[in-house]
Amino acid sequence: MQPPAVDKMMTQTTPILEIKDLSVSRGGKVVLYEVDLTVRKGEFIGLVGPNGSGKSTLLLAILGVLNPQNGTIDLYGHKPMSRNTHGRIGWVSQAAAVMPKNVRITVRELIRLGTLNSKNMFFRRKSVHREKVDAAIKMVGLEDVADNDIARLSGGQRQRAVIGRALASSAEFILLDEPLVGIDREARNSLLKLLDKLCHDENKTILMVSHDLAAIRQTAHRMIYLEESIRFDGVTEDFPDLTTLAGLRGIEPVHGHAHEKKEFTPTVSESDGTLNRNMEEE
Amino acid sequence: MGIGSIVLDLASPVLEFIAPMAPGEIFPYFFTMEMFQRALVAAILVTVVAGVLGSFLLVRNLALMGDGLAHVSFGGVAVGVVLGASSPLWYALLFSVVSAILIHEMQTRELLTGDASIAIFLTGMLALGLVVLRVFGGGITSDIEGYLFGSLLLIDKESLDLIATITILSLISLMMLYSGLLSTTIDPLAARVQGLPVRAIGLVFSIITAAVVVSMVQVIGALLVTALLVTPAATGQLVGRSFRSCLIWTQFFGISAVLLGLYLSAEHDSGSGAMIALVAATIFAVVAILQVTWKTVIRRADNWN
Repeated sequence: MQPPAVDKMMTQTTPILEIKDLSVSRGGKVVLYEVDLTVRKGEFIGLVGPNGSGKSTLLLAILGVLNPQNGTIDLYGHKPMSRNTHGRIGWVSQAAAVMPKNVRITVRELIRLGTLNSKNMFFRRKSVHREKVDAAIKMVGLEDVADNDIARLSGGQRQRAVIGRALASSAEFILLDEPLVGIDREARNSLLKLLDKLCHDENKTILMVSHDLAAIRQTAHRMIYLEESIRFDGVTEDFPDLTTLAGLRGIEPVHGHAHEKKEFTPTVSESDGTLNRNMEEE
Repeated sequence: MGIGSIVLDLASPVLEFIAPMAPGEIFPYFFTMEMFQRALVAAILVTVVAGVLGSFLLVRNLALMGDGLAHVSFGGVAVGVVLGASSPLWYALLFSVVSAILIHEMQTRELLTGDASIAIFLTGMLALGLVVLRVFGGGITSDIEGYLFGSLLLIDKESLDLIATITILSLISLMMLYSGLLSTTIDPLAARVQGLPVRAIGLVFSIITAAVVVSMVQVIGALLVTALLVTPAATGQLVGRSFRSCLIWTQFFGISAVLLGLYLSAEHDSGSGAMIALVAATIFAVVAILQVTWKTVIRRADNWN
C-alpha cells in the first residue's frame, strides 16, 4: 500500500474534533499534559507511543468516559458523550481482550447491536435495521461466517466483526484501540486494507492506536507520537524514520516541561519495528 | 382475581388435555388437581424467566448473584415470619431488591469488585434472619424449612399471584431490555459510546434478578435457586451456536428438568426442589460428557486424515 496522497487532507476543512490544552491525571500521576489536537473529516490518523504513554487515556477522554482535569474537548461542536455525539462515534475495542469468553453470539447478532441507541432499544423492528446490518457485514467481508459463533472465528475475523458493529451504527468517526493485536500477518494486511477503504470510499474519519509502527506508517495519512504530550504530529512522510527515532534516545524532548522528571527514551525493537519504552526510573 | 388465578385458568385446560399422557401414578395429579396444577404452573413460570435471566447472568460472570440473593431472601423470609406476616415473601422481596441495588452500586462504584460484595450480603442478611429467628421467633422452624428447600405443593393462591406477577413482569422487561442488555454485557464501553444508559440497564437487571429469585424461593428453595437459574443456561451454552439459540436450548433443558424432576419426586416421594436440581445437574453432566466425547472423536478423525 502506497502512502496516501496528502492533498486529501489539505482539502478537508471542518474540524470534527478539537482538543485544547488537555491534561489528565489518573491516580495522582500525570498521564496527559497540555495536549492540543485537531482532527478533520476524512483523516486517517495513527496514534503511536510506548505502553503507558496515554494513548488509551486520550481515547477515553475523546469518548467522554474520562473527565479531564484541564482543557476542553470539542466533538462535532459538542461535549463528548452528549446526545449529539451518540451514533456519530464508533468505538472499536480490542476484540481479543474485551469479548467475554463464555458467550455464544454470532457475527450477525454482534453487528446488530451496533444499530442500538437509547431511543430504539426497547422496541425494535428487525426489518428496519436488517439492511444496515447486512451492509456492515458485507463491508467487513464476513458474509460467509455471518451466522457463526464469534468464538469460532480467527482473531482477525473477530476484530472485523467488532469493526462491523461500529459501522452498523453509521458512525462517521471511528476510534480503534490496538486492532492489530493478536492477529496474524495476512489478517493484519486485510484489516489495514479495510480501514483504508473505509477512509477513502466511505469517507470515515479514523483514529487508530497501535504499537505497530510499521503498519501505521503504511496506512495513516497523519501520525501522532504521544508520550504525555504530543511529541510529533504531522503527515506520515515526515515521521522520523526508525533510526532517527532511536536516535532520540537521551535527547531532551523539545517541548520540555518542568514537571517531567523521567527520561524518555523510545527504542525500536529490531524484530518487528515495535516501539518499546526504555524507561530509566529516577 | 390476581394474575396467578388468570394464568391458572388459562393453563388448566391445557394441563387437563396433557393429563392422560402423563406417566406414573401420582405425577398425573399435577395436570388435574388444582393444588398440583398451581405447583406446576408456578414451577414452569419460574423456570422460563430464570432461564432467560440465567443466560445473561452467566455471560456477566454473575452466576453466584442468584445464590447470594436467595440467601438474602431467606433472611427476609425469616424476619417476615417472626413479624407474623401472612406472606413473608414480601419481606424477602424487600430484602432482595434492596440488597441487589446495593450490590450493584458497590460494584459500579468499584468499592468492591467481583463476588466479594455478593458474599457480604449473602452472609450478612442470612445471619440477620437467623438471629432474629432465634431471638424473637421462639419455636418457629417448620415454616422456615419450606423456604430453604422449596415447598412446591404449599404454594397457595396468594403466593401464585405474587410468583406470576413477578415472573410475567420480569419476562416482559427482559424481552424489552434484551438488546440493550446483550449490548452492555458484551462491551459496556461500546454501549456507552452508542448512548445506551449502561448503568440504568445494569440497575434494572439487578432489580429483576432480585425479584425473580424471590419468586423462585418457594418453588425450588433458597438453597437450590441456582439450579434453575444457572444450570439450564450453562447446559444451553454447551449446545447453542448463537445467543438466541442458547436461550431456546436453555428453555428446553430447564423445562425438561422441571417435568422430569417433578415426575421422579412424585413417584419416589422425594423433595421436589432437590429432585429438580439433581435432574438439572444430571442433564448438564450428560450433555457435557457427550460433547467432550463427540469433540474427541472428531479430533481423532481429523488426525487420522
